[in-house]
Parts: sequence; structure tokens; C-alpha cells
Amino acid sequence: MSLMPFAPSRPLSIGVELELQLLSCNDYNLASSAPDVLRRVEKRAHPGEIKPEMTRSMIEINTSVQQEYTGLVEELRALRDVVSEAGRFLNVAVAGGGTHPFQHWSEQKIFDAPRFHHLSELYGYLAKQFTIFGQHVHIGCPGPDEALHLMHMLSRYIPHFIALSASSPFVQGHDTGFASARLNSVFSFPLSGRAPFVLRWDEFERFFGKMTGTGVVESMKDFYWDIRPKPEFGTIEVRVCDTPLTVEIAAAIACYIQAMSRYIMVEQRTPPEEDDYLVYTFNRFQACRFGLEGVFIDPRTHEQRSIREDITDMLARIADHARELHAVEAMEHVRDILRAGNGTSWLRQSYAREHNLADVMQLQAELWMGKQVMNWKFF
Amino acid sequence: MNWPAYLPFWPLEVGPALWLALTLVAAVLVGETLVRHLRLPRIVGYIGIGALLGPGGLGFIPPLPATEWRLVVNLALGILLFELGSKVNLRWLKANPWIAATSLLESTATFAVVFSMLAWFGVANIAAVVVASIAIATSPAIVIRIVTESRAQGQVTDRLLLMTALNCIYAVIFHKLAVAGMHGQAGTSAIHTVLAPLYLLGGSALLAWLFGITFERIHHYLGQHEETFSFVLFGMIAFATIMASTLKLSPILVLLAAGLITRYRRQRPRTFPPHFGSAGAVLVVLMFIANGLAADLSGLRDSFLLVMLLITARAAAKLLAVLTLAHYSGISLRQAMALGIALIPMSSVALLLTLDTAVDFPLFGSGLGLVLMSCIVILELGGPILVQMALRIAGETPEKKR
Repeated sequence: MSLMPFAPSRPLSIGVELELQLLSCNDYNLASSAPDVLRRVEKRAHPGEIKPEMTRSMIEINTSVQQEYTGLVEELRALRDVVSEAGRFLNVAVAGGGTHPFQHWSEQKIFDAPRFHHLSELYGYLAKQFTIFGQHVHIGCPGPDEALHLMHMLSRYIPHFIALSASSPFVQGHDTGFASARLNSVFSFPLSGRAPFVLRWDEFERFFGKMTGTGVVESMKDFYWDIRPKPEFGTIEVRVCDTPLTVEIAAAIACYIQAMSRYIMVEQRTPPEEDDYLVYTFNRFQACRFGLEGVFIDPRTHEQRSIREDITDMLARIADHARELHAVEAMEHVRDILRAGNGTSWLRQSYAREHNLADVMQLQAELWMGKQVMNWKFF
Repeated sequence: MNWPAYLPFWPLEVGPALWLALTLVAAVLVGETLVRHLRLPRIVGYIGIGALLGPGGLGFIPPLPATEWRLVVNLALGILLFELGSKVNLRWLKANPWIAATSLLESTATFAVVFSMLAWFGVANIAAVVVASIAIATSPAIVIRIVTESRAQGQVTDRLLLMTALNCIYAVIFHKLAVAGMHGQAGTSAIHTVLAPLYLLGGSALLAWLFGITFERIHHYLGQHEETFSFVLFGMIAFATIMASTLKLSPILVLLAAGLITRYRRQRPRTFPPHFGSAGAVLVVLMFIANGLAADLSGLRDSFLLVMLLITARAAAKLLAVLTLAHYSGISLRQAMALGIALIPMSSVALLLTLDTAVDFPLFGSGLGLVLMSCIVILELGGPILVQMALRIAGETPEKKR
């Protein structure tokens, strides 16, 4: 089976996918309510798409193709409102965040669809442990080679996206000490990690042909890479982010990636190198473990600094591009995160105050459903 | 030679407590056997053993002294009702008024069907109203017990808990009104017919509200240690139950309302161990055994047809009402079917209301009361199985590898 041709797409267009948690309002544990929620939203007119996910306590919202922050955030808010309304009608709370703090994986139920049952059989308990919630950002690329170029250049900044979106410190009832514990679950999949260092689409097609030849993979969906090309959309898909605690943060991070992509395509013009990947897993670990405080090693200069400093520096470099893309507000939002902390800080602060993970989960849901404004003074 | 004083007299003289203790052991063992081999709910074993060994069955155990029995049942039921109330989110009714509509339709339909059937059988109007009111209630004890035991979660479970809490409230209120009506008929002055239900409602609400406030205060003071807190809560429930009985209020109403009020005021759910710890759990088991011991199927002999018709009509009314509004309230037909079935059980609440009526009106106790008792016994034994089945049909119990 060969790879699909790379579809044309408008360069630097963006699309966001968010995996969301469905919770019972009785104890704020995950609830297998996806079929009920989906049945309810089916009747409502809404932009984008609302889809089932692997387990029945998850749901995914997808925006349509967007060009800039305003449109993106509006559509995400509309999707959030539709899902939240359905949730309230069914006594189900909806929340962001990369993990559920105290769910037990063995209690999750697989959504009734052939693909999910297939994956569940293949991966066993891993499939249920995959009850984690991520944000995927699509960036439109002018062509397949440009897509590979952008993918490898963005790979260096994966720690930025992880640290900004990190919102999964708690797993199975405990603080893991990680800013994003969610990614630890992704690592256990055999085809996770990074794409091979190939820069031309025909080479990538050959790689894909060899992989399907071995029988290991059937489609691009079987690769759980941090960034992967999505030929049918004509995009690359950044997959390392946790689902943030609000749609506004999700949109801001998407636009940060968009502005950085414009900077890479228009201004930077330096080719990626295989050696850029020498520090890849180290940097990525630092971001998962320590978030914005993590150490970032520049693969070219070998200079060490905190991820927060590197993002501050990047914000200055991409300021013009952000302005071109009408993403100034989004960059302000990113600066707020640098100043006040990411979702993980918010969650830890809430836990320190509430001493109870169910209460934290309820606050988290209220935050996501827009009932409560994120209270920055707690940081 | 005299019988030595250090040896017990022969034949041994043992009180009913010893038999009760043995029954507890036997019931728990039977309950475990049912779970392991037949996958039936444990409480079927508890009630079944009680009914089998009790005065209504083989008669190994003499009738229990009414006051002790009432204390155990009241306390355990108090725990279960408070538990139910505190799991129910009343705000949901505002977000989804169709559930309130379903609840009202289901209760009205049950009342209407049971009343018309009794009227057709020639039962006096006011007595028919009493029975029809009692028939509205779904058993909170069975519902909460099976939901806890099967660790069910989902739309059907949530709605079942909510609708059970609501129909118990309707049942208690209508029952009191009906009984007040009976008093009126029996010749007491009209003023009491009006004041009695007012006192009941106002008093119960006030007691429940005080309970809610005290709960908050103590919770605030004791903070996070959930085990300690559940001990205190246990004591509070006992106090409120006994206080309610002393003041001639309805312990059912007080504890249920107290649970609802605490949940409503706090806005945050709070998880406690099931039945607030093992002391509560033992009381609950004893309650089901005691209910079994109180089982009286003598009504079946004279009115078999009426009992069967009542059970069928009541079940049909609940099921059809839920099915009618399923679409609007946002559940599938399969879920509605499950919900309708799960609403069928009758147990402690109905039993207590029936016995209360019989105390005031001995004629009711020896006539229509017996018919109602037979219905309760049957739905108490079958109810747990129905609820378990319904929750499985709805896919709300954890998946089991078999």
C-alpha cells in the first residue's frame, strides 16, 4: 500500500484537534458518556467536527481550516459551548488537561467502533492507558518537501510546545512530578518518537513503502510521532501538546506554532541537520519533567538556558510574523503563560488549596466549560 | 444430684438475638454464593434467608420485637437515604427539565394506574389512594445498594438515583395526605387533616435544613480526614433518624432531604466509603435480613390475581412513562428500557409506610395492607435482580473479562 499524494493546502492555514475528558458530575471521575454526548450534539448545528475517541470517556473536537487567531478561537469557543451544553443536559462535565488525575485505566471502556476494537486488541492495556488527552495542531504547507522541511525545523522547538501546554501532573491519584506526564504514556507505543530524517517526499514515500512492506504499519495513522506529515490534508501535525485547560490557551499555542512556522518558512531559511536530533530526547524530557523551568540545549550552539528563556527569545524573533498573521493577542497569551505558569502550575496550586483531586477536577471542568475565569493571582 | 449451677440450664434458653446473629452469618454466606455462582446480587441472599428462616417462612426465628427492628431498619434506611440524597445533583433538573417531566409523568402514571385498578376491584377510594401513593416509591435501599455493588456509572444510573429520590419524596408526601384523608373519614376534625401534613412537611424540612448546616460546620472543622468524618456523619444520621421519629416527623423525608440539601449547598460532590464505613454496611445487611424476616406473603392466598396485576400495572406504568419521554430527555430507547426496569423495585420505604398505616388503621393492615405486603416481598426479592440486569443492559457496569 502506497502513501497518499500530498494534497494542496493553503500555506500557514491552521486547524486544531482537542481531545476532551468527559466526567461524571457525581464524583468527577471519567464517565463513559461519549455515546450520550455525541447523540446529543448530533442535533445541534456547530462548526468543525465532534468525534468519538478510543475510550468512551473521551471526545474529540476538530476545528475547520482557519487562517488566524480570531477565527480559530471563535470556532473553538463555539465547539466548546456545544459540547458543554450537551454535558450539562446529561449531568456530564467536560474538561481539558492532559490526564485525568485519578481515573483507573482498567475501568475505561473502548468506544464501539471497528478501528478502536482493533487497536484495543493489538495494544491490550496500552489502549486503555491511552486515556490521555492531547492537542494536535495542523499547519498547512505549500508542498510535500516544504512540509518535511518544516517538520524537521519545528522538531527543535518541541520542548516549547510541551512546556506551554503542559497540564498533566497527576496520574492515578498522585503527583508524578512531571509537568506533562501524558507524554510518558505515548512513549510506550512502539512507533512513537520522531520521524526519520528524510527531507524529500519521494524519499519519505520510499521509507513508508519499506515500512508497509515489513507489515509493521498500514497507514500514517500507525505512526505516533511527535510531528508527522498528514498528506491527505496537506499539513504537518504537531502532536506533543497536552489539551490545555482553556480553549483560549489552545488557540494561542496553535498560533504560536503558526507564527514560528512562518518565521521558519520565510526568514530562517537554514536547512535542518540530522545532528539537530542529538539533543532531541534530552530537551523533550526536560520539557516533560520540568516544564518551563526545564533546560533547553541549542543543538547548533550547544548553549544551555531555560525553556522559558528560549520561548521569550523566540517570541521576540517571530513578533513581526505574528503581526502579519494577526496573532498579536495570541502572543500576549503566550507571554501570560511564561509569566504566570502553565496548566500544570494551575493544577498544582489548586491541589495545594483544595487537598482533594476530585475538587481540582471539578474546578478544571468549570474552567474549561467557561463558568470560571482562570485566576492568575494564584500563581 | 442437683444440676450444677455453673452449667447452663437444659434445654438452653436463647433469645432471638442469637438466632439473628446466626442468620447474619448464614445470609452473608448465601449472598456470597449467589454472587460467585449465579452472578446475582448479594441482597437477594440477605432478604431471601430472612424470609426463609423467618416467621413467614420456616419459622426458625420468632417475630422480632417491633421496636428493635424498627430502630435497625430506620437507622440503615437513614444511612441509605442520606447516601442517595448526597449523590443526587438537583441542579441537573434545571439543565434538563425533561428529567423532571419524566419523573412527574412516571409517578403520576403509577399512581393513576394503581388507583384505577384498585377502584375497579371495588376498594374504597381513600384506601386506594393510600396504596397508590405507596406504589409510587422505588426502593432507594435496593437502588443504592445495587449501584454501589455493581459500581455502575452513566446516564441510567444517574437518572435512576435522581428519579428514585424524587419519587420517594412524592410517595411520603402523598401518603401523609392520604392518611390525613383517612383520619378525616374516620371522624377526626378537619383542622387536623390540614395541619398534619403541614407539620410533617415543615418540620421535616426544618430538621433536614439544620442537619445540612451542622454537616457543613462539622465538615469545615474536621476537614479532610474522611474516615473520622464518616464516623461523625454516622452519629448525625442516627440522631436525625431518632429525632425525626420522636417528633413524629418522617425519618425518610428528613434524611433524604438532608442528603439533597447538603449536596445542593456544597455544590461539590463528596465521596464517602459505601454506607459511610463498615458499621453502616453491617446495619444495611441487617436491614435487608430484617426486611426478609418481616416478609408476609399471606396476602397471596386470598388476592393472588390482584397482587400480580398490581405488580404488572405498576411496572408497565413506570416503563411506559420513561419510554415516552426518552427521546426528549436525551437517552436512547435501550437506556430508557433499562431505566424503566430499574425503577420497579419496592422495599423498605414502602414497607415502613405500609406498617405505619396499619398501626393507625388495623383494618387496612389485615386487608389491603397484606396485598401490598405481598407486592413488596416479591419486588424486594426480584427488584435487585432487575436493577442489576437493567444496569448491565445499559452497559453501565464495568466490563468484565469472562
